[in-house]
Amino acid sequence: MSAFTVDRTLIWLSARQLFAKRRAVLALGLSLVPLVVALVFRLLVSNASGSSGDFLIGLARDLVIGALLPLTAVLFGTTAFGGDIEDGTLLYLLLKPVARWRVVIWKYLIAVVSTVAVMIPAILLPWFVVRGPDLPIQVPLSLLAGLVVGSVFYCAGFLALGAWTRRALVVGLLYVVAFEMVLSRNLTGVKSISAREFALAVSQKLLGNSAALVEKPVTIATIWTMGTLMLVVGVGLTLLKVRAYEAAERL
Amino acid sequence: MTAIELRNASRWYGNVVAVNDVSCVLGAGITGLLGPNGAGKTTVLHMMAGLLMPSAGYVLIDGVAPANDSSIYRRLTLVPERESAYSFLTGREFVRMSARLQQLADAEDAATRAIRLVELEDAQHRKIGTYSKGMRQRIKVAAALVHNPDVVLLDEPFNGMDPRQRLHMMAVLREEAARGRVIVISSHILEELNDLADNVLVMVAGRLAASGHYRAIRRLMTDRPHTFMIRSSDDRRLAAALLSDASVFGVELSTNGNGSGIIVRTSERSTLTHHLPRAARDAGIRLLEIRPTDESLESVFSYLVER
Repeated sequence: MSAFTVDRTLIWLSARQLFAKRRAVLALGLSLVPLVVALVFRLLVSNASGSSGDFLIGLARDLVIGALLPLTAVLFGTTAFGGDIEDGTLLYLLLKPVARWRVVIWKYLIAVVSTVAVMIPAILLPWFVVRGPDLPIQVPLSLLAGLVVGSVFYCAGFLALGAWTRRALVVGLLYVVAFEMVLSRNLTGVKSISAREFALAVSQKLLGNSAALVEKPVTIATIWTMGTLMLVVGVGLTLLKVRAYEAAERL
Repeated sequence: MTAIELRNASRWYGNVVAVNDVSCVLGAGITGLLGPNGAGKTTVLHMMAGLLMPSAGYVLIDGVAPANDSSIYRRLTLVPERESAYSFLTGREFVRMSARLQQLADAEDAATRAIRLVELEDAQHRKIGTYSKGMRQRIKVAAALVHNPDVVLLDEPFNGMDPRQRLHMMAVLREEAARGRVIVISSHILEELNDLADNVLVMVAGRLAASGHYRAIRRLMTDRPHTFMIRSSDDRRLAAALLSDASVFGVELSTNGNGSGIIVRTSERSTLTHHLPRAARDAGIRLLEIRPTDESLESVFSYLVER
């Protein structure tokens, strides 16, 4: 037995925990919404009109990356620790000869992977329905890369939210609506700390001039600097909470 | 030999003092941690488990502070009071997970043994969410004991168990104690610990009110009269004979459901035990039964709490 066994067990538990809840079913349902929209589009609009590219880009920007990604990240990110702290099951991990940072890192990574996994159909299925000569496979792959980047930053923030607040889901949803859906779309300064803008910028960078996902994407340098800061703060705050977790406070 | 030591350990939350200047050393065997709700039992257990840092003083396991040292959990375990467990896992998955996180060489075998220990073989493949409260307690104990720890801390472990399950769990804990383990059980139900604990720690309002075997504690309470129920061949004459002893300050004839007898109150336990057989012999009375009525854990506890 080795540290690998411990890691494997933490991964297994984290994944079971996220997908055991009804909210995982909700997330899966959300990820299928773009498919429905694409099917309706396919029925109503002729393939020859050449508008599939604009449709898919718009769908990815406004619905998938703009709304479904942060919502899914809220669901998984806040559940990763929120549930354990609320019901006290975190004790079963803390009372083991396992470093607490290890617990935090694996919970975080599984939240990211789960968010990405659930969001993959939200990009690939609509593309499959509306695909044509103007939509090579590079388009959905570029969008997926943006999804991965968005998940990395969203989950870091929502993980910390789940660890520090009892109403993490509500606070997270308020954040998504107020910050990501309203402020970051309208205030230029806010874009440099928006995971949504980071995701769009990375996708735009990979798409090049083949599609206009976002008019003024944030620079990759901004993503590196501000993203790293957001990541360190999010995961760091979670680690701080878990290291200082005192069970009796919750009794 | 493993030992837990609390040296002037205190813990407070803001202005609330949960545990106040507690000192004790616990060795192998079963120690009952008693006290009314809110007395600080759970805080003491969590300090012993390294989950809480003492605000002042020290908590040491074999001379080492357990807080912030995760390696201590190879030798120490805690069964928390809250009945929550991973409801989406089966009992076996839960215990096996504990074994794997303990990095045991054969997690499957260890899980099988631990589940057998708590007699949950039949329900091991059911989701914990479908378990009764007593079954959850037992699976928690199995998960806690899967790596054979030297120190076992249990917070209200008998909650929700039916009488048969309680007796079985008590037998398990006795066996573990006989192997030299340090077992600390917190409870506010005295009957549970009356026959189980070799020693008790009585917590009242965050302070350690007494520690030791409850009979020894009782004998040290010289400000409380000792009460005996005595049955004999002639209770009335024996009562008269005992009243001649200066240490006896009350004798009462009793006719309760257990038959007739006399209740004797004395300030000096040892004086009475010496005087009684002599007085009976001199009066030609046969003693049938002598039973202390306030040497139970319950009476010791109530005396301490009333203080």
